[in-house]
Amino acid sequence: MSDAAAPKSPATRRTLPSAGGEPMIWLTGGALVLCILMILGLVSLVLYNGSRAFWPGPIAQVELNDGTAFLGIRTDREEGTATTEPRALYRVGNRDIGQESFRWVDDAEVREVSYPPDAVMLERLAWGVWFGIPESITAKDEDGSESVLASGMDEVLEQYESLHRDARGEYHDAQTLRDHTLGEINHKIDSIRLRVREKELEFATAEDRPGRLPILVWVLAVAGCVLGGAGFVLLGRRANAYEIGVPGGIRIGRFGTAAMCVVLLLAGWIGAPWRGGAISETELQSYRADAELRERDLLSEYDRVLADIQAIEREDSRVRFVVNEVTGGRFSPISQTENTEPMRLSQVVRMVPANRLSTGQRFGVYLSRWWEYLTTGPREANTEGGVFPVIVGTVLLTLMLTIFVTPLGVIAALYLREYAVQGVLTSLIRIAVNNLAGVPSIVYGVFGLGFFCYTLGRYIDTGVARTVALPPLGWWFLYLAAAVVGVAAFALGVWSKPKPGEPPRAFNVWMKRLAWGAWVLTGVLVVLVFVRTPYFDGFFAARAADGSPTFGARGLLWASLTLALLTLPVVIVATEEAIAAVPNSMREGSYGCGASKWQTMRRVVLPGAMPGILTGAILAMARGAGEVAPLMLVGAVKLNQDLPISANAPFLHADRSFMHLGFHIYDLGFQSPDSEAARPLVWTTVLLFLTLVLALNLIAIVLRARLRARMTRGAV
Amino acid sequence: MISMDTPKQMKAHELKPIVQSVSLGGSGHKPVRYENIEAIRRGEPIEPAVHREMRSQDGVIKVENFKLWYGQSQAIHDVSMDIPRGAVTALIGPSGCGKSTLLRSINRMNDLIDSVRVEGKISLNGSPVYAPSVDVIGLRKRLGMVFQKPNPFPMSIFENVVYPLRIDGERRKSVLAEACERSLKAAAIWDEVKDRLKDSALGLSGGQQQRLCIARAVVADPEVLLLDEPCSALDPVATIKIEELISEISSRYTVLIVTHNMQQAARVSNYTAFMYLGRLVEYGPTAKIFQTPKLVETEHYVSGRFG
Repeated sequence: MSDAAAPKSPATRRTLPSAGGEPMIWLTGGALVLCILMILGLVSLVLYNGSRAFWPGPIAQVELNDGTAFLGIRTDREEGTATTEPRALYRVGNRDIGQESFRWVDDAEVREVSYPPDAVMLERLAWGVWFGIPESITAKDEDGSESVLASGMDEVLEQYESLHRDARGEYHDAQTLRDHTLGEINHKIDSIRLRVREKELEFATAEDRPGRLPILVWVLAVAGCVLGGAGFVLLGRRANAYEIGVPGGIRIGRFGTAAMCVVLLLAGWIGAPWRGGAISETELQSYRADAELRERDLLSEYDRVLADIQAIEREDSRVRFVVNEVTGGRFSPISQTENTEPMRLSQVVRMVPANRLSTGQRFGVYLSRWWEYLTTGPREANTEGGVFPVIVGTVLLTLMLTIFVTPLGVIAALYLREYAVQGVLTSLIRIAVNNLAGVPSIVYGVFGLGFFCYTLGRYIDTGVARTVALPPLGWWFLYLAAAVVGVAAFALGVWSKPKPGEPPRAFNVWMKRLAWGAWVLTGVLVVLVFVRTPYFDGFFAARAADGSPTFGARGLLWASLTLALLTLPVVIVATEEAIAAVPNSMREGSYGCGASKWQTMRRVVLPGAMPGILTGAILAMARGAGEVAPLMLVGAVKLNQDLPISANAPFLHADRSFMHLGFHIYDLGFQSPDSEAARPLVWTTVLLFLTLVLALNLIAIVLRARLRARMTRGAV
Repeated sequence: MISMDTPKQMKAHELKPIVQSVSLGGSGHKPVRYENIEAIRRGEPIEPAVHREMRSQDGVIKVENFKLWYGQSQAIHDVSMDIPRGAVTALIGPSGCGKSTLLRSINRMNDLIDSVRVEGKISLNGSPVYAPSVDVIGLRKRLGMVFQKPNPFPMSIFENVVYPLRIDGERRKSVLAEACERSLKAAAIWDEVKDRLKDSALGLSGGQQQRLCIARAVVADPEVLLLDEPCSALDPVATIKIEELISEISSRYTVLIVTHNMQQAARVSNYTAFMYLGRLVEYGPTAKIFQTPKLVETEHYVSGRFG
C-alpha cells in the first residue's frame, strides 16, 4: 500500500505531562474535602455547643481581694492581651436582689476560688437561677407559728425530694385548674358573649340589609347555571371523543365550566336570600336575657374554682425554702417586692447541688433538663423552660405547607406539561415560575401579610363593606353576567375546535381567541361577584367588631399558605422534570390499550413520576421548614402558649399565631433581655431545629424509598 | 400536546440515488431497471402488483386510497389494501417506507402528533376509522398494539396485563385473575411469571417484557393485533420465542406485523405487502412474494439485493 498508511513515527505524537490530570484530581478532591470539612465543622460546632448547655458544671465560690465573695458557674474565659487582663465570666444569678446575672471577673481581683459542697443552684419559676447555701425548709401553721421541717444542708437534702414533690404537685394541681378548668369556663363565657354580639350586629345592620329578591329569582339563576354547565359538560364529553391530537381549549373548557359552576354556586350560597335574616327586638331581648342567665351560672362556677385554687395555693405557700447568699446573708425571696419573706418551695423547679453530684447524677440532671426543654413551655422571656409549643408550631407549619403545596404544584405541573400546548406562553410561564424561586423570601412575607391576612382574612372575617357592596339588582345582574359569559366562553371553546383530521382554520383560531378572552372576562366577573356582594357579612364579624380578628390577622393558615407559595416553584419544577422523564413509549402503550389521556396520566404517568414528585415535595418541605423571614410577618410570634391544636373543636386552630424554631432562635439570640443566659439555649435550639428538619426529611425520604421499591421490586 | 418523536420523515430529494440502474453481482447479469421504484422516486403514481389471491379474501381491515401527511411532507401515497381475516400479514419495506405509519394509522396513534393530516378511508370490520363521529378511544379498545420497544407500565405484572380491563372499569377480582391467566398463557409467559404476578413488570427481561406486552394487547380480545417491529429490540433467542408466539396466536387473531426482517416475514406471515416511499408496491401470499414475485424490485428486495 501507499506511504500514507505507514505507521507514524512515535515522535509525532506524544503524551503531554499534563494529560495525566494529577493536579485536577487533587483540585477536585480538595474542593470536596473542603466542602465536607465545612459541613462537618458546622455540624460538630452545633452538636458540641448544643449538647453541653444542659450539663451541670461545678459551682465555684469566688473570693475577691476586696473581701466580698459570690457563688457562680464559670461559663467563659478570656486570656489576656497586651491591653486587657485575663478574665472569666461567671453565671451568678440572684437577679431578684438586684444583681447582674452574669459577671466578668479579672483574674487579678480573685483571691481564692473554692468549690463548697453545700452550694446549690436553684432553677426557679421566675427571676432566673439562684446560687446559695440552703439553710432550712420551714412550714407556717394556721396560727402563724413556724415549724422547721429541715435545717442544715444534710437534712435539707434528705427531706428535699419528698417535700418538693408534694409542693410541686400542689402547684401543678392549681396550675391545671387555672389553665384547663378556668380556661374552659372563660371560653364558654366568651362564646356566649360573642353570640350576643352577633345577634346585636345582626339587629343593628338589619336596617341597611338589602331588600331580599324573591327566592324564585335566585333558584332560577342557580338552576340555569347548573343546567347550562351540566349541558356543556355533557356536550364536552361528546366533543371530547376525539380528545387526543386536537389542540387544547375544549378540555380546559370542561374543567373550567365545572370549576365555574362550583364558584358560582358558592357565590350564590353566600348571597342566598335566606342568609342573614334579621331578628326582631323582642327576640334580641329574650336572647340577651337567656345569655345573661347562662353567664351568671358560669361566673359562679368560676368563683368556685378560683376559691379551690386559692385554697391550694394557701396550702402551698406554707412551705418555705430558705437559701442564703454566700455573703450578705440575703435569702432567695418570694418575689422581688417582698424580699423579707423566703420563697415557697414550689417556686423551685430544680435544685442542683452541683458540687456533691457524682457523674451519674450529673447525667441524670442533664437528661431531666432535656426532658423539661422538650416537653414544657418557655418561661422568663424564653430564656428558660422548654420549647414544646415551638416544636408543635414548627411541625404543624411544615406539615400544612407540604399539604398545601404538593397537590397544587403537582396539578399545575401536570397541566403545564401534559395538557398545555407547548409554545411561547408555556415557556414564559416556566421562566416566571423559575424566577419565583429566586424572589427573596421576605417579599413573600409582605405579600402574605398584605393579601392573605389583610385582604382575604378580613373578607372572611367581616365580609363586604356597605360602601363597596352593589345594590342587589346590580349584583344579581353581575352574577348572571358571570354565568352567561362563563357558559359562552365554554361554548366558544367547543366551537373553536377544528374537525378531526383537519388543520385549524382562521375561524377556529379566532374562536379560540374569543374563548380565551371570555374566560378572562369570566374570571374578572367572578371576582367582582365575590368582592361586591351585598349579602355577605363575614363569618367572624362579631369577633372582629370586638377587636380580635380571627383570620384577618397573622396566623398559622396564612403562614403555611405563604410558605406554600414560596415553595411552589420547587414542586412545579421537580414534578415537570419527573413527568418529562416518563418515557413516551409508556404513554403510547397506554393509548394503544384504549386509555384516555386522563387515564394514562393517572395510571401510568403519575405512578412513574411519583418518586420524582416526592423528591420535589421533600425539597419544598426542607426549604419551607427553614424559612424564617416571611414568618415574622405572617404569623410567628415570640410567645404563644396556646397551641394551634387543642381538644376543643375545631381542633386545628389555623387562625392562631404560633411559635417557630427559626424565629425562636432569632428571638433568643437577639431579642432576649438576658442574652448571656440565652446563648446556650440558642445552640440547643439550633441543634433541635436541625434534628427536626432532618427527621422530617428522613421520614419523607423513607416514604419515597418504600414507594420506589414497590414500583420496581424485582428489578435486576 | 405531548411532544412525540417525529417518525422518520421521507424527503425524497435527500435520498442518495441508489437504483438508477444497478449492475448486480458482477457475474454476467444484465443491468436491471427498477421501473416502478424509479417512478415512485419521481413522484409518479404506480399500479401496485396485487396478486389475484388477495381479491378473494375477506378483509378485516380495508384501506382505500389512504394518504397521510406530516405537516407538508406526504408519508403515505394513495394506499389501498385489504388485510385478510384470521391470518398474519406482514408489511415490509426499507426504512421510511411508511409501513409503521400505516400501521399506526389503523388505530389512530398518529393523532398523537399535532401536524398529521389524512385523506382516504380505513375501515375496521366495516366501521370507518376516520369518520368525524368515531370515538378514538373506543376504536383503540378494539385493537391490540405491541410496540418496537417493550413498554410495560411501572406497576405489577398482574396490573400490566389487566390494564385494558381496568381502564374499562372492570373490578371483579375473579374476572381479572381469569383474564390475566388466560392472556399470559396465550402469550406463553404464564409459567415464567405465575409465581410473581405481584412483582414489578420492570424487573422482567426484555423478551419477557415484550411477551407481557403481547399478553396485555390480547387481554381484551381485540379484533386485530397490530405489531410494530416487535422483535427489533430483542436478542435472537427472544425473537424466536416471539415469532413462535405470533404463529401460535395467529389461529385466534388477525395479526398485522411490521418488520424489517425479511426472514421473519417469511417465517411468520401468510401474506406480505412490500411498500416503498409511502406506496404499496406488491402485495400477495408470502410464499409467492418470496419465491415468485411479480416485480423484479420485490424479488431483489426480499433477497437483499436492494434496499
